[in-house]
Amino acid sequence: MDTADHPTQPGTVPGPSPQADDVSGHTYETATARIEEIIRRLDSGEAGLRETLDLCREGKALVELCAAELDAVGRGLEELRLDELVARLEG
Amino acid sequence: MAADPAPVPAGIPGSALPGPWPVGAYAAKLRAELRKRARLQLFGEAWNLRFTPVRVWFELRDADGALPCAMWREDAERCGVRPGALADGARVVVGGGPDYYPGSRTASPAFSFHVTELRVAGEGDLLAQLARLRRVLDADGLLAPQKALPRPALPRAIGVVCAETGKARDDILAGLARRGWAGRLVWAFAPVQDRHAAPRITRALQDLAATGAVDVIIVARGGGSLADLLCFCDETLCRTVAMLPVPVIASVGHHTDRTLLDDVAAVSCSTPTHAAEAAVTRHVGESRAALRAAAASLDRHARRAIVDRAHALARLSGAPGRYVRRERERLHQRLRELRAAARRRAGDERTHVRRAATVLARKAQAARTARAAEGAALRRRAEALHRAPGEAARDRRRRLEALAAALTAHDPQRTLERGYALVEDAAGRPVTSAAAARAAGSVALRFADGRAAACVRPDPDATEP
Repeated sequence: MDTADHPTQPGTVPGPSPQADDVSGHTYETATARIEEIIRRLDSGEAGLRETLDLCREGKALVELCAAELDAVGRGLEELRLDELVARLEG
Repeated sequence: MAADPAPVPAGIPGSALPGPWPVGAYAAKLRAELRKRARLQLFGEAWNLRFTPVRVWFELRDADGALPCAMWREDAERCGVRPGALADGARVVVGGGPDYYPGSRTASPAFSFHVTELRVAGEGDLLAQLARLRRVLDADGLLAPQKALPRPALPRAIGVVCAETGKARDDILAGLARRGWAGRLVWAFAPVQDRHAAPRITRALQDLAATGAVDVIIVARGGGSLADLLCFCDETLCRTVAMLPVPVIASVGHHTDRTLLDDVAAVSCSTPTHAAEAAVTRHVGESRAALRAAAASLDRHARRAIVDRAHALARLSGAPGRYVRRERERLHQRLRELRAAARRRAGDERTHVRRAATVLARKAQAARTARAAEGAALRRRAEALHRAPGEAARDRRRRLEALAAALTAHDPQRTLERGYALVEDAAGRPVTSAAAARAAGSVALRFADGRAAACVRPDPDATEP
């Protein structure tokens, strides 16, 4: 059984990003791609305990980011005319 | 059943014009007058070619004017005009004359130039101009920048440039609804057909991009001929779109028409519905479900990472006790086996010793018996030895006497005693031939009572054997 962390080789297997909780640089696409990568790594069973926990923490932060994006495009259609938008932005 | 003719109405009071006359009569008269006009040849660009089972319709255009044209289908086919044979804008020469369909109460009238002959003269000027402009835009590198812009799969805000009325608007809403998208939609309405359209569309695009509040812009117009879509081939509009920092999705006309906007835009779609789907590439509901599944998977992994390891540690912590128990049982088993083996060994040894003692006893008895037999034999031999010397001496004496008698029989002395003599040389060796006697010269004669010397004389009569 694997109880120790295996060092991951850069470029071969995805490890937790250096700042696992900082997902602000992600777009929805890169976030979902990273989540899929994390789940593939976890499914492989090769991640040690420390790496697993780091990946889960990073994945949850990314899920929250994606959920916010989905909420923004799913809370209800808002139709504006261009001049209304300009007025709102200027106001 | 013929309807009663309506009474002729009174004319317009104060009008100096004659009449009123029935319109049908006037329409028939107009057709007759038009048909009297000279038949001739015209040239221009053929646009909006449409085929029906019996007629072929198109418009003949140039920069200064246009004329609706009609042909009988069989005339068209005789001239090589078949569906797909003529692209919009093709340069043609037509022969014919003006005609007029007077219509009726249930049919619309129509004016047309009745074409009986047609020759294709080449690609139209307009298409050639568009091709040249497309090459210029390409050479300036303006066909690529939009395509290099990143497009979000789920844009939060979408700008739309289209006509305020028309089907394109509804189609875009339907396409967005099909994706489950319900974000912010910013409408920038503009005319999409006539000479004012291109500047207004250009301005709308610039304004939308300037707000910085939209992630993607759709430019949409319903179907139409390429002539109707010429505003989307405007050079200024195309150069503006090419340099816009927001990706533009073009949906202008149908897939058979390709404007220059389609070339410079990030994406070109055949319908506004497709444009909406290209703007939102993921289905929001499906994405939400996938995200839920991903979140559940992450939770499961996080839980299992700890619980599985806890179970493993618990298993490991019980292992030493299990190992000691197992070793103790193994040692006890060994002990039992050793004891059993020792018992077996002792029994075997006892049996072996007993068997050896029996063998030794038997051997001792045999030795005693042998010793007794040997004693008896010795005694018998002693007795025999004790008796043996007398008999043996007698036997030897008898054998000696026999030998002495035999020797005596062969003794030469006995022969000498009977009167014979033995001739010997000086060394006492017998001389057994006359030649030896002559050679020796002197010999001794041995008689029974002693020796006598003799000399051998040569005998003249004697002959050598």
